[in-house]
Amino acid sequence: MECQFGLSGNGYVLLAASTTAVRSIVKMKHDQDNIKVLGPQLIMSYSGEPGDTIQFAEYIERNIRLYQIRNFHALRPSSAASWLRRQLADSLRSRNPYAVNILLGGYDNATSKPHLYWMDYLGTLTNQPYAAQGYGSYFVLSLLDRYHNPEASLEEGLETLRRCIDEVEKRLVVSQGKYIVKVVDKDGVRVIEL
Amino acid sequence: MARRYDSRTTIFSPEGRLYQIEYAMEAISHAGTVLGILAKDGVVLAAEKKVTGKLLDLSGAKEGGYGGSGEKIFLLNSNVIAGVAGITADANSLINYARTAAQRHLFSYNEDIPVEQLAQRLCDLKQGYTQFGDPSGNYSGWKATCIGANNGTAQSLLKQEYKDDITVEDAIGLAIRVMSKTMDSTTLGSEKLEFAVLTLDKKNEQPRPKIFKPAEIDALLAKHGLGKKDEDTEMRTA
Amino acid sequence: MNTLVSRFTSSSSTELKALDSRDPDYGENEASDITWGSLGGFGNLGLNGIPSFNIPTVPDPTAFLRLHTDDAADSSCRIKIQHGTTTLAFRFQGGVIVAVDSRATAGSYIASGTVKKVIEINPHLLGTMAGGAADCQFWETYLGSQCRIYELRNRERISVAAASKYLSNLVYSYKGMGLSMGTMICGWDKTGPAIFYVDSDGTRLKGDVFSVGSGSTFAYGVLDQGYRWDLTDEEAQELGRRSIYAAGHRDAFSGNTCNLYHVKEDGWKFIGNYDITKLHYEGSQGAAYGYDQRTQ
Repeated sequence: MECQFGLSGNGYVLLAASTTAVRSIVKMKHDQDNIKVLGPQLIMSYSGEPGDTIQFAEYIERNIRLYQIRNFHALRPSSAASWLRRQLADSLRSRNPYAVNILLGGYDNATSKPHLYWMDYLGTLTNQPYAAQGYGSYFVLSLLDRYHNPEASLEEGLETLRRCIDEVEKRLVVSQGKYIVKVVDKDGVRVIEL
Repeated sequence: MARRYDSRTTIFSPEGRLYQIEYAMEAISHAGTVLGILAKDGVVLAAEKKVTGKLLDLSGAKEGGYGGSGEKIFLLNSNVIAGVAGITADANSLINYARTAAQRHLFSYNEDIPVEQLAQRLCDLKQGYTQFGDPSGNYSGWKATCIGANNGTAQSLLKQEYKDDITVEDAIGLAIRVMSKTMDSTTLGSEKLEFAVLTLDKKNEQPRPKIFKPAEIDALLAKHGLGKKDEDTEMRTA
Repeated sequence: MNTLVSRFTSSSSTELKALDSRDPDYGENEASDITWGSLGGFGNLGLNGIPSFNIPTVPDPTAFLRLHTDDAADSSCRIKIQHGTTTLAFRFQGGVIVAVDSRATAGSYIASGTVKKVIEINPHLLGTMAGGAADCQFWETYLGSQCRIYELRNRERISVAAASKYLSNLVYSYKGMGLSMGTMICGWDKTGPAIFYVDSDGTRLKGDVFSVGSGSTFAYGVLDQGYRWDLTDEEAQELGRRSIYAAGHRDAFSGNTCNLYHVKEDGWKFIGNYDITKLHYEGSQGAAYGYDQRTQ
């Protein structure tokens, strides 16, 4: 039932993820942060099989950090996405595959461009101007087809994100509660209160 | 004294030296010279070939491939060229390792391996064999440097003439001049030289490595007034 | 595919017949519709010749069954819903309250009414037990020895976060092999009172209020409404007791007695064992918990 959305605009990527942790019909937690900060300008939201999600996310987090320590520079978003995809693809054919879906947002300082990647647990990787996962995507993708503007300012981007959250709140049978929102741009990563 | 401590690369002498490594470095200083120059818009490599002779089949270098005779200068990846000095067999093995490492990086990250990381991969491998010393796993970045025979002379020449804002064009000239002064032979020619430059392709913003073919080297030498023909004409006039 | 799933997904006529309650071989009261809930007054439809599947009333019954079964672990495939338990723990100003019921069930049979569902890992850590009793008992005792070893190696007590992470990594390594546990690791460390929910999926959550087991929804109903951070010790203990009572009263698979623990800075203390029937009629401090008794 978890929902996550991402959209890019003029010089930034926004990621939003619902903060409820559900087990059967019970909400176990209302302030879960499902967006990991992987680097100075790289963020990742994740959802999927309970247990797998956090194990995989922490594995990715630590290894991206290790790369940075070893090589004195952070991976660029495109390279990080390729590596992440490889991890998922290798995992898929292992004895114990991770069932985790991912949105990856980053800002590439070399080209001064934002990047948003959509990834599923099968290892499919696509670069998108906006993306969504979970039941929310059934409502939000059409909305973003209609309202997304790649040149939107951060304020306008947040306005579109609010539309997405409102729409899911209005139409999806299960309420998602609060969302955590993070932005990545030339200045780094920040949490945004909607 | 040293005799007891020089049989293995992993045994220190009482003075804290590793003789095998010093011997290896000595061996390298007898090998054909390789020099490299970093310019503001590219990199230049030049190398002296030691294996020459009429019977050597160089048809491969003249035609296809990446250029060069495959003795001293190699293409490791689309963004990296390398010059080697030392045991040829060891060099071949290292080059193969480096090419594999570069492909492995491409496989994981979908980008060309950064040059320094490739150097690290190689040095990690070397360190595993030796544990300390100079061909032992240490590496450093240089604006201009030289390995192999007469590397001391070459380096002092480079130190005198190198300027921080040197262009690739000038660096090519510098490399040829230094090579002509350090090489034993009186005449310079494509049978004794390998040459390569790495620049950025203006059109696609990608690295463009170029290893010179023999004919191109001869043309280059002629352009800089160091070709064989000049010498021949000089001799004839004299 | 396990037998249970195939039984409910098959569309062959023989399978259908086997599920038809008119079949003389099919026991009248065995595994009837009640297993999956009331037919809401439409129970007669099946008897009037209209064929009907005996399936869960959800949009995707196979997915539902797969969610509640574990065919990788066991081909005979028992249902893995948290059977017969109510456990709860919450954090407040005065520490952590841990309260549990004491009933063990095997199907409709009450196997025991005096089960200890709080596992005393060490003087500062408690674990609760829901799901497989053996799994919880074994691994939480094992966790206790690992925590002691940590203490000997590092000359300080393990944090609740670290202990719970150890357990969650451990059960995650057994994922898909049939472990069944839903536990709360509770204690007091340098950061103060702390609770982590850990289950055999590998989920690990930090929080203030948790309840686990078949009666957890009933416990939440009372617990959430009475919860405040600045509860006094007595109020907090009463809230824990009342919540377990509520679940013991409403959930058929929970009941008998309530065990209550209070964790403070100097470790946990066992507060008491309370008969749920007695709580219903008399309460713990004079005022009865039962609705009729309360409103008389």
